[in-house]
Amino acid sequence: MRVDLPLDNDTVGGPIVVDWRGWLPDGSVTDPRVMVEEKPPAHGVPAMLKRRLTPVGRALCDMLGALKAADDEAPIVHASQHGDGQRPLDMLDTIADGEPVSPTRFSLSVHNALAGVYSIAFHHQGSISAISATGEEWPALIQEAEGFLAEGAPRVVVVWSDSTIPERYRAEDRCAEHPSAVAVVLERQGHEPALPARSLSAGKRFGRAQPDHLINELMAHTPRDR
Amino acid sequence: MSDTSLTPLEHELAELIIDTLELEDVSVDDIDPDEPLFGDGLGLDSIDALELGLALQKRYGIKLDSDAEENQTHFASLRHLAALVEARRAS
Repeated sequence: MRVDLPLDNDTVGGPIVVDWRGWLPDGSVTDPRVMVEEKPPAHGVPAMLKRRLTPVGRALCDMLGALKAADDEAPIVHASQHGDGQRPLDMLDTIADGEPVSPTRFSLSVHNALAGVYSIAFHHQGSISAISATGEEWPALIQEAEGFLAEGAPRVVVVWSDSTIPERYRAEDRCAEHPSAVAVVLERQGHEPALPARSLSAGKRFGRAQPDHLINELMAHTPRDR
Repeated sequence: MSDTSLTPLEHELAELIIDTLELEDVSVDDIDPDEPLFGDGLGLDSIDALELGLALQKRYGIKLDSDAEENQTHFASLRHLAALVEARRAS
């Protein structure tokens, strides 16, 4: 079977946005699709797993839970420029001080740790991957989703999160000012009215875009009852 | 019926476990000194075992060999853990 896989910068073609959820902890957003709690509830996550999640991780679980990602074991791709923010970097300070590193912190500092905890909590056995793309997370997520859709997955859930990092690790203005996260269900063309994932400008502001930009765009482009 | 009252050392260790392992919803009174800490009892896992080993090293100077078979005995319950600390704590 021949599959057309458009990877150019056209805004037509490619995956379309079907549903989404967001997390904007310091915003005044009232959209029901956006969580605003500093520490999201992480519904459905057992307490023994929940204790290991940062607010970003809790948001990730709540968003994927709301989108029912585990129901059909949709492939999940999680992109994040700096991962779980402060926590992995704290380990470097610990090592520099000659102190032993916390095994728990270490186990949660890998880039796929948050999605991993989600997969255990929700028994999600579908494909889960984690990527970092130096500020170009949204186009990278679309590209990954196109691969899964071309292989026949009916839908893909892409998650984009980012956290603040300590001042000394910041380069130029590429760091998130606030933590935020967004999860988007992508499918192939066919839905009307279609919102092509690549039409969202988060993918064009190279190195500058953060998940909160995408949330604002999604709120503007998708009616609430969709 | 087993005696569930805690010795001062057991109380101290229960607090260490709760703080170190961030057991937000657990209080000292919830920990039965004879119940298993791992698996069916309190429900701790292998990462907790490593974390607890590190905490024992920091607090009491007790170094456990990560491969040692007797670790299973030491970590079996709060009471066993207290016995280990009593026997091995750096004076």
